[in-house]
Amino acid sequence: MFWKYVLKRVFYGILIYIVLVFIFSVLFNSVMEQTLRAQIEEEIRAEMMGLDSRSTQQIQSFVENRRLEKYSQYRLDKPIFERIIWRTWSTLTLNLGKSTAIRSAAGDRDVWAIVSEKIPRTLLLFSTAMLVDIVIGIWLGLKKAQKAGKFLDKSTSVGTMIVFGMPSWWLGMILIMFFAYTIKIFPSGNFHSTPPPEGIAYFFDLIYHLALPVLTLVVLGFWGRAFLTRNIVLGVLQEDYIMAARARGIPERKILYGHTMRTAAPPIVTMSLLALLASVSGNIVFEGIFSWPGMGNLFWFALQQNDVPVLMGNLAVTTGLYISGLVILDLIYGLLDPRIKVGGKA
Amino acid sequence: MRLGDIKNSIKDFWKEFRKVKSGLLGLVLLGLFLFILFFEPLLLPFSEANKRWKDITYWEDNPASAAPEWINLFTSKKRAVSQELEESRLEEKNAGTVRIIEETFVYDYRYDVAPSDLIFKASGSGNVTVIMSVERPDGQKIDLMRKPMEIQEGKEIRIAIDKTSKSDVLNFLKKLNALNGVTTQTLKTTDIIFSKIENSVSFTPDPLKGEYRILVSMILQKESDRIDSTSMKVAGRVQGILGTDNSKRDIWSGVLAGVKWALLIGLLTAVISVSIGVIYGVMSAYLGGWKDSLMQRIFEIFISVPLLPVLIVMSAVFKPSIWVIILIMSIFYWVGPVKTVRSMGLQIKEETYIEASRALGASNARIIFKHMVPLLVPYAFASMALYVPGAIVVEATLSLLGLGDPTIVTWGQLLQDAHSGGAMLSGMWWWVVPPGLAIALMGMTFAFVGFAMDKILNPKLKTR
Amino acid sequence: MEKILRVDNLKLYYYTSKGVVKAVDDVSFSLKKGETLGLVGESGCGKTTTGFALLKMPTPPGRIVGGKIEVDGLDITPLSESEMRKNVRWEKISMVFQGAMNTLTPVYTIGKQMMETLQEHRQMEREQARKRIEKYLNLVGLSGEVVKRYPHELSGGMKQRIAIATALFLEPRVIICDEPTTALDVIVQAQIINLLKDLKEKLDLSFIFITHDLATEAEVSDRIAVMYAGKIVEIGRNGQIYGEEGPCHPYTRNLLAATPRLHEKVSTLSFIPGAPPDLLEPPSGCRFHPRCSVAMEKCAQEEPPLIEIEEEHMVACWRCEKR
Repeated sequence: MFWKYVLKRVFYGILIYIVLVFIFSVLFNSVMEQTLRAQIEEEIRAEMMGLDSRSTQQIQSFVENRRLEKYSQYRLDKPIFERIIWRTWSTLTLNLGKSTAIRSAAGDRDVWAIVSEKIPRTLLLFSTAMLVDIVIGIWLGLKKAQKAGKFLDKSTSVGTMIVFGMPSWWLGMILIMFFAYTIKIFPSGNFHSTPPPEGIAYFFDLIYHLALPVLTLVVLGFWGRAFLTRNIVLGVLQEDYIMAARARGIPERKILYGHTMRTAAPPIVTMSLLALLASVSGNIVFEGIFSWPGMGNLFWFALQQNDVPVLMGNLAVTTGLYISGLVILDLIYGLLDPRIKVGGKA
Repeated sequence: MRLGDIKNSIKDFWKEFRKVKSGLLGLVLLGLFLFILFFEPLLLPFSEANKRWKDITYWEDNPASAAPEWINLFTSKKRAVSQELEESRLEEKNAGTVRIIEETFVYDYRYDVAPSDLIFKASGSGNVTVIMSVERPDGQKIDLMRKPMEIQEGKEIRIAIDKTSKSDVLNFLKKLNALNGVTTQTLKTTDIIFSKIENSVSFTPDPLKGEYRILVSMILQKESDRIDSTSMKVAGRVQGILGTDNSKRDIWSGVLAGVKWALLIGLLTAVISVSIGVIYGVMSAYLGGWKDSLMQRIFEIFISVPLLPVLIVMSAVFKPSIWVIILIMSIFYWVGPVKTVRSMGLQIKEETYIEASRALGASNARIIFKHMVPLLVPYAFASMALYVPGAIVVEATLSLLGLGDPTIVTWGQLLQDAHSGGAMLSGMWWWVVPPGLAIALMGMTFAFVGFAMDKILNPKLKTR
Repeated sequence: MEKILRVDNLKLYYYTSKGVVKAVDDVSFSLKKGETLGLVGESGCGKTTTGFALLKMPTPPGRIVGGKIEVDGLDITPLSESEMRKNVRWEKISMVFQGAMNTLTPVYTIGKQMMETLQEHRQMEREQARKRIEKYLNLVGLSGEVVKRYPHELSGGMKQRIAIATALFLEPRVIICDEPTTALDVIVQAQIINLLKDLKEKLDLSFIFITHDLATEAEVSDRIAVMYAGKIVEIGRNGQIYGEEGPCHPYTRNLLAATPRLHEKVSTLSFIPGAPPDLLEPPSGCRFHPRCSVAMEKCAQEEPPLIEIEEEHMVACWRCEKR
């Protein structure tokens, strides 16, 4: 039964991704084609370099021939609808074109190569922050729920509200200014020193560089997690079955950590991950501030270089990862909540 | 819902709201922002900051990268503050057709760190030779400049000695044999003018405090030449409530100017998107069946879009104005309330009075808008308040990346300038902290108000 | 017959932001071993609150402010929360809650919840515990297989039966049933009633049966206590309340009259005018007097005490005298 749910959800996810890529292709087709034409001209010019032995007329016809060939190769001579479909298809198959200004670490111009090597770095940063955030947040949220309405609860709620509208990248700027330039404890950016150390020292170097960005994200984030946990737990604590469990003589500890938390787990976990997923999309700039060479930083860099293929490719990949995240969330929820796992509606 | 009912529910709501301290604090802060919004023209120290933000001539008399004035309260070495000097003496001498106007400006220098510049301006018409010198308290006189200039009718001439008199001042030192060890790169003209000269002027000069007389002689040769007005300004080392940026712009003006945009962007986006979201959610719940499923599928597509990356790429490609940005943000933000509103709508739908309305022949639109939506208005307002900070941050993020609307002054813009101007590196905290703090404060304000509203309207969260 | 439960002058008040609600105000009754005592009244009269009071679990912001509760000779009034939890709740008194649909934690299987309860109170081997659970599930007419299910997979009737099995399997002295059939359809209702009666006989149980439905009460209870506005206004044996002479208290009389009868034709349904009183500021004197058709002046001034008008039949009404 659960497998039906999984399949359905994954199918929808893929479908939505296709629709979105199609929409992107429609929106950005003309811009991409502009870049493509420019790139073709460049390629032809490069080829022309090896042709000085021919006459002007021959060169002219060579250029025109090559242009037609290339246009045909990239389907630029076909009607617009077909071009858009073709673009959608190539994006979906990760055939993302060539960058105009950026190279990957291996010197490759291929957009997918450029983007894909950034993915693990972004994942590293944000999953670390997510982990710390959730652990602290849920722990605090439980404490707040247990002592609801009292000082801890009220004061931390105020904390939640204070950081509510604070941009993560601004806090990053402040912390960098303070901890990296004024008091030089942490490095001001990048994810490892140059040259990177070997072996176990690399690991520590990584943590050293992770510290400030993770600290920034966690300081902003855990309030929200605590607030959410507190509300959901309080909501569950008011349910009849908690009262009934107490009447049955179950000790308070088992009620809180067993009955309550287990019931609260699906919404807490999924809403936390959802909020974090949403914030990841906003943390593009954040990476830039810390010179963390991930996907967010790539956006920034591509913007400065006006590198449209990389922007588009990055967008497609980011959206794909985002949707995958959403699908995984739904699956986790279904797994945690037996009302979905064992048939029936939630 | 009749007017009387609405009035009563507002009264009840207000009674509850008054008890929540954070909500009241939020309202106070909101009032502060609104005050700034309405009285901006009166509050701006540089009244044309909005229009002429990118016009360097508007700001040219300010010191660049200057810290705020009040840091003098916290430092032992007091930095010179900008001020306008009054002329203490004006004499006009005649020698045939040649007129010489001599003006003396007195500057009582009591600080430890010299001002960054002395700026002389004059308006009039024709040709004039300007001779400027300064008499120091220790009796030394420094010739600052001697130069013929042309004043065009309706325009001003401007002499800023930092640039024009650098070599003159160095010559002065040379004559006194005090040029040794002077690092001419880091010292400003004014640093030399206003400091003691022992054997040499060292890297951190000792201030020479006392009365300085700045003499300006203007020689007019022809009858048609004339001087209408003059002014002498000391551009301090520190200026303003929040200092200046590297383009000499007053940051406090920038922050004030940004208030209206932040409020506009935040509120407009929040109101539009929550309104759409609520109506969409109610409709989806009410219509049910395949229409509901379809609406939910569309909803899922929208919710699968990572907002900021898409916004960034679209802004990069299409370079939209602020209104289009608001529109696009609304297009993505409306999905927020839908899920909750839909489940609330589903509950309301089961109420018997809805069934009764339908039996009486009420149209769908009437039921949705007259019976269901009003019940969701309180929730809608709480949501709106909580959406404002997010919208402001998104716009600020876009501006930071250089994708915002360049014709308006927003806090995000200020931060973008700060970032590209290397403010972090130079430790110019007065540039980096205030705009972001403003964003955070406004976010905090709406968070306080929104959470207070949410607390009252959501019975499960009551802890009393 | 020994008294298995004794309640003397019980007071439970709710301390709300609007004031003090005297939900249970000086209530006294007793329960004999093997007897079913019915607690009847309108919604909001305090009967469910009384049930919770017996477990010493008042719903916040409620508090027990006075009185004495004695279970099987043990005075549980001064006991601490942890003592109640360890020794009294479910061991000596258990409860079948109103709306059993919501009294099972949705994320645990039935088996886990029952096992948890059992092992919390008894040192039992898993196999022994499993056997006992199965025994009681069978007693309520369910197969042992049900332990593998989650609550959402079961029907209302099944969940109610599980609630009953859980209330019984520690073999407590007193079992409180709070509207055990209200949320169920009529056929299942009948099944559950029969089940309860059957179990009572087989296991020699003592019940407190709370409901607003007089008809069910008549079926099930040996003695009946009628509550109104936080007070017991009449208490007597089944035969005395439902018998020929009928009850004495005007409220009880009206309740009976307002019960529709299957085989009688009535031109108009009788009802009790007015609404239950606001327990923040209850009426002076007898709390029923504003709605009473036979009220006297005295009724508004002085609260009538419970007096015995026949053997085991007590009434709190100025109009009632010894029979």
